[in-house]
Amino acid sequence: MFRYRYPRIPESEVTPKALLDSRRRFLRQGATLGMVAAAPGLLWSADAKAWQVQLEERLTEALTSSDLADGESPTSLRDITTYNNFYEFGTGKRDPEVYGHRLVTDPWSLAIGGEVEKAGTFALEDVLAGQALEERIYRHRCVEAWSKVIPWVGFPLTDLLKRHGPTSRAKYVIFESIHDPDNLRGQRRSIIEWPYREALRIDEAMHPLTLLAVGVYGEMMPNQNGAPIRLVVPWKYGFKSIKSIVRIELVEERPTTSWHARNPEEYGFYANVNPEVDHPRWSQARERRIGESGRRETLMFNGYADEVAHLYADMDLHRHY
Amino acid sequence: MERGMLSRKGTTRKATSRQEAFGQSAIMAFRWLVLIGCSAPAVWLTWQWFFGDLGAVPGEAVVHVTGKTGLTLLLLTIAFSPAFRFTGWVGFMAARRQIGLWAFFWLVAHMLAWMGLDQYWDWPWIRREMIELPYIRYGVAALVLLVPLALTSFRRVQKAMGYRAWHWLHRLIYIAGGLGVIHFWVLTRADYLEPLLYATVLAGLVVFRIVDAMLHRQ
Repeated sequence: MFRYRYPRIPESEVTPKALLDSRRRFLRQGATLGMVAAAPGLLWSADAKAWQVQLEERLTEALTSSDLADGESPTSLRDITTYNNFYEFGTGKRDPEVYGHRLVTDPWSLAIGGEVEKAGTFALEDVLAGQALEERIYRHRCVEAWSKVIPWVGFPLTDLLKRHGPTSRAKYVIFESIHDPDNLRGQRRSIIEWPYREALRIDEAMHPLTLLAVGVYGEMMPNQNGAPIRLVVPWKYGFKSIKSIVRIELVEERPTTSWHARNPEEYGFYANVNPEVDHPRWSQARERRIGESGRRETLMFNGYADEVAHLYADMDLHRHY
Repeated sequence: MERGMLSRKGTTRKATSRQEAFGQSAIMAFRWLVLIGCSAPAVWLTWQWFFGDLGAVPGEAVVHVTGKTGLTLLLLTIAFSPAFRFTGWVGFMAARRQIGLWAFFWLVAHMLAWMGLDQYWDWPWIRREMIELPYIRYGVAALVLLVPLALTSFRRVQKAMGYRAWHWLHRLIYIAGGLGVIHFWVLTRADYLEPLLYATVLAGLVVFRIVDAMLHRQ
């Protein structure tokens, strides 16, 4: 079973508590995002482990569980944690597992801003405080035509957004991942423009299926799966489900996203799972379920058509791929 | 030089001096080295499949290993000629046919692995992907080009064809190599480091060939 490994930092790099407290106060006053991105890894103290300790306790309690994969058996934890696309660690499927320990997830802050009433930078423990967690078993479909069934632990994104009061001008939600080339070897090459960035339309973001996940299989999120907090949008290709989120911003104009910027003919903004719209270089009509042999038919919206098809009722999905 | 070497019957002739004997042993040793080097990945792969760990999708791992081994050996095969030119050592020529056939073996294994482990022998789908998907088409084309090369590897055929015709046919290996590199390039999602490496090596070999031909003309 995967055990979370705390990063070992030499004594010389341990920040004195007084300095740590003042830094955290500074962060809470909405410091620059550059500070937020650089903060993980610079600060270390017993206080900073608050969110992990809290979360571990909550995960020992029973969580309500919803099976949203029509009873399909969940993929093994081993397959969930050893076959990942997380290019911050390298482009091999095992790289995230091998190099995942370099990700410093503690302390972790989430900067929430843009078209909201209550903006700021919040420690992860404050984001999770008082938030009910639940288990959801979702299908997960990668654009590369493989898929898994994953029992996530998290809470609906809409809960977080509502707490911060989106204004009427909020039309899109941008998510940004951690930028730490010193520790994340994949970010030393520009395979993609770092930090990784994704976005959703506000109605997609506020949809009850859209999840912010902090755990898997009733345990803390493994680093290679996007610790400590990641997005899960089960009706879209996996690259939309951004990992290791440090920033959430609500905006009026549709933003660019990392994969779309890298390769616009292959990666669209919507990226809805759609067996009728092939990828330019391979078919999307079938997929391989990890852990099973053979191929299976890909389902429209990854099997969540009943819940989400109405969002795209009058859109040509061949154009808006 | 090459011609004389290839038309000699058998692989080694009786050494007429100690120096020659050493040279013959070196050639033999090299041919054994090629044999071991080209078959070792098969041993490793088989062991990994049954006792080791090929990851969450072992079929995919096999397709990748067979493809990269095949392409590497193909480029090595091409490289044996300039190696011979530069070093004057006849061992490269003595082992060239063997390594070429190994490359063919690995690439056929690559295609079979794709058909069986990736596509599960689903023939309608295999046919559809071969027709529709560009990167599969490049791969199939590359392999198809190598078939006549494999079939005409044998000295008897070479003699029947005549050296000139044989040599022209076997220049197809450059095109097959190019198509193989393109196949790899087109299926790459974002990280072009490896296909770029292969492309650079192939480009270097092509440049050498052209320059060598031009200089020879003088």
